[in-house]
Amino acid sequence: MATASRSVPGPAAFQRRGRVRPGDAILYFVTLLAALTAVVLLALIAREVLADAWPAMKAYGLGFLTATDWDPNKKLFGAGTFIFGTAVTSLGALLLAAPISIAIALFMTELAPGWIRAIIGPLVEMLAAVPSVVLGLWGILVLGPFIVSTLGPAIHGSLGWIPIFGTEPNVGSSMFAAILILTIMMVPIISSICRELFLGVPQELKEGALALGATRWEVVRGVVFPYARAGIAAALILGLGRGLGEAIAVTQVIGNNVAMPTSLFEPGDTLASRIASQYQGADYAIQVSSLVYLAVILLVFSLAVNVLAQIIVRRVAGRHRVS
Amino acid sequence: MKSLDTRKTRVGAAVCGLLIAVSAVAAVIMASGAQARSGAGELKGAGATFPAPLIAVWQQQYESAKGVKVSYNAIGSGGGIAAITNKTVDFGASDAPLSPDQFARCNGCVQLPWVLSATSVMYNLPGLPNNLRITGQVIADIYLGKITKWNDRRITRLNPGKSFPDKEITPVYRSDSSGTSFNFTSYLNTASKQWKSQVGNGTTVNWPKGVGARGSSGVSGVLSRTEGAIGYADIAYALKNHLKFFSVKNRAGNFARPGLVGIKAASLADRKFSSTNALSIVNPPPGKKFRKAYPICTYSYVLLRTTSPNAAELKPFITWALTSGQQYGPRLIFQPIPKYVVAKGKATLKRVHS
Amino acid sequence: MSAQPSTADLFKAERIGRRRLVNRLVELAATAAALLAVAVLAIVVASVAKRGAGAINLDFLTKPPALNTGFGEPQPSGIADALIGTAIIVGLATLMALPIGVLAAIYLNEFAPRRLSAVLTLALDVLNGVPAIVIGIFVFVFLVSGHGQAGWKGAFALGILMLPMVARATQEVLALVPNSLREASLALGAAKWRTTLSVVLPQTVGGIVTGATLAVARVAGETAPLLFTSSLISNEIDTNPKDALASIPMFIFTSAEQADPTLHEQAWGAALVLIGFVLVTSLLARAFAARSRQRLAGER
Repeated sequence: MATASRSVPGPAAFQRRGRVRPGDAILYFVTLLAALTAVVLLALIAREVLADAWPAMKAYGLGFLTATDWDPNKKLFGAGTFIFGTAVTSLGALLLAAPISIAIALFMTELAPGWIRAIIGPLVEMLAAVPSVVLGLWGILVLGPFIVSTLGPAIHGSLGWIPIFGTEPNVGSSMFAAILILTIMMVPIISSICRELFLGVPQELKEGALALGATRWEVVRGVVFPYARAGIAAALILGLGRGLGEAIAVTQVIGNNVAMPTSLFEPGDTLASRIASQYQGADYAIQVSSLVYLAVILLVFSLAVNVLAQIIVRRVAGRHRVS
Repeated sequence: MKSLDTRKTRVGAAVCGLLIAVSAVAAVIMASGAQARSGAGELKGAGATFPAPLIAVWQQQYESAKGVKVSYNAIGSGGGIAAITNKTVDFGASDAPLSPDQFARCNGCVQLPWVLSATSVMYNLPGLPNNLRITGQVIADIYLGKITKWNDRRITRLNPGKSFPDKEITPVYRSDSSGTSFNFTSYLNTASKQWKSQVGNGTTVNWPKGVGARGSSGVSGVLSRTEGAIGYADIAYALKNHLKFFSVKNRAGNFARPGLVGIKAASLADRKFSSTNALSIVNPPPGKKFRKAYPICTYSYVLLRTTSPNAAELKPFITWALTSGQQYGPRLIFQPIPKYVVAKGKATLKRVHS
Repeated sequence: MSAQPSTADLFKAERIGRRRLVNRLVELAATAAALLAVAVLAIVVASVAKRGAGAINLDFLTKPPALNTGFGEPQPSGIADALIGTAIIVGLATLMALPIGVLAAIYLNEFAPRRLSAVLTLALDVLNGVPAIVIGIFVFVFLVSGHGQAGWKGAFALGILMLPMVARATQEVLALVPNSLREASLALGAAKWRTTLSVVLPQTVGGIVTGATLAVARVAGETAPLLFTSSLISNEIDTNPKDALASIPMFIFTSAEQADPTLHEQAWGAALVLIGFVLVTSLLARAFAARSRQRLAGER
């Protein structure tokens, strides 16, 4: 990450010689306003979203987080199923995406000769460029039927004794489909960050290990991973953040079910997906408010995840600048 | 001393000036954001997916007849109620009549029935014929999760001679706020005590199990892709997508199909309008008149504001829909509305002004 | 590290064989993973290309959706309204986000004291991490509720998404401009504003264009921000940003879940157009970035 140029003097400097150049002052304030936009937007987002969620927050309190009803008739709402769904789909996808992404990053930095790297690198990044709605379309019309006809029965047949694969994969829309789609979305992000990290490992450390007779894998395990450990953690967390917030592709393939799913082959729902599917036509005011309450929870989760990742990233950058 | 390269200065200043000018223009556009209104000769509507097939025909025919463009976004009854409440459309559409709460929040809305059709219960069972028989109690038990397989005795004994597969039943329901759901669950309320106490009726309910889909088209979509699925949507969707649908047992003891005959018979069940023009024709009582009645029929309502900026275009369109528009219905299994409903609609329409 | 075998042990025949085997397996796994990623990309793109190519013809690209209800002649149906709508919405979003992003980056890089810069940069990164659906809800609550949907309100939502991307990209290019340039300009007596605008900024135009292009490519495919701000459309070619405008992502989203196979084909076609635009734009932007980075480095 590039560092800002710091040798240029700050605002006090253009008041040197007791004379403020008007051009400097204008540019300073215009750019300052622009820079504050992000903060203003964040504050506005927090305020508007909290204001609309407030009726539900007041009515249901923190119990909302564990309640699993979603009954507009009885005016009982709870985020429990959706928090569960968000956690399962995001963490499940991360579980699949992490080893794949790290392996891809290793492939591109340690194994592949230059020309392969030049081809595969952009291809993996292109995967990140596929819009989520297109992945969702593919998920509904291609992946879903494939899960029902081939992949699902194969897994259910061999691993069906494990509860998470316990039910028959009847429907294309399921938690499993959502996990696969999220994995596809997470892999490019995690692998590109990891690739940058692995490239940043000092060559001398690796050469030293090789000189001692270590195999390539032992160099990776003994030098690259420990060096990049914190960065890998940040990459995984950023990937997780991507999965948490994905509304469109997930709502297209997850089945929008309210009941708590008992296996991955059952339909379920996540925070983002529920908001996307129900917000437009929400009936009672308290239902609208409950949906915005879901948005507040989602916002808190994503902010926590992102801030955590940013802190790690900054600490890693600082440490590596010193060394 | 040579001055700084003036060309680069000019470029830099021009770029910055352009950036600032452009953001100023953008700010002006945003600040002048008056409410988007349809231009003259245009009407905007949104709401239920139930009447959407007929409204689509109306859009076509009305434009060629009167030159007025009507646009309609099928986003579900809840969406239609929200849109007319938020004044983002000229008319809304909902199969579920507005509750007193919703009337209060809409603040100046009226509703009138303008379309009459049936909710079909569709199934995806390759190899089995169309119009298998089912009862309301069985449907409720399926959606409650009490009947889980197609070869359950409670289903097979209604259809002797047909071989049902040993397949899981996947109930499909509307995930968005839906008047069709309201119609379907209102019917289940009358058919199953357990359904009434455990789930109840509404445009969104706490479905015990199954897969959710957006819109009647979404439900038809999931159904067409999922073997062993059961779902509900306006009969027009079942026909359009070549989906099979059940004959449902009515209170007179006959298994009735969601066709024009069945709908017409059912419409006789309620001729008394509520104070807000609502009619409920779900599960008609036993009796000779209702021998052929299909038990899951409903009117669908158009929602209007008494103060409509576009009243001059809106009223003729609604009048046309109530009268000439009905002739396009039967082909899509929309039964033309009875004369007393047309009269009530015209009377209500008088309350709309600009 | 406990009970480490001695260096001599590590080179014993059987150990070295096993170590080499493990190494080989890991290499194979890494290669397999990379091939898996490429394969998935190939499958997705191939699906879209195969199923969507049939839908693309001149009518598809130039005509709005037709109401083929079975009454009367079937009309050709297309996505012209969505193409134009996306162009207008994304264009407006760029107009909103680009100036503010560039100016913000100028402040953060040229004027701000270190700590303030760190805090404001963190704010930008945090804004980047807000899920698109939450931004959609925010804009709905802030602008749409009670007032109505509009294309420019959708553009506003997309602009919020673009802002951190543009600002970050500009920041990075600004930092690449060597300080010697700034110092030389100041030493010659130029004011700070003059230095920034006519010495520093022209160097960064390439990077800004790249950043903006990548942001456009990313945001052109976003659906969630438009879901509540620009979805009640009128199904004909509308160019007024005060109306709700159609868009390609919303078209794909609504067509995908229906049962009608004709709509599916159109969805694939629209997806092909979208993917084509996004991929080509991203590749061009990256190629341009690589070239301008070379040039910048070469000029030193």
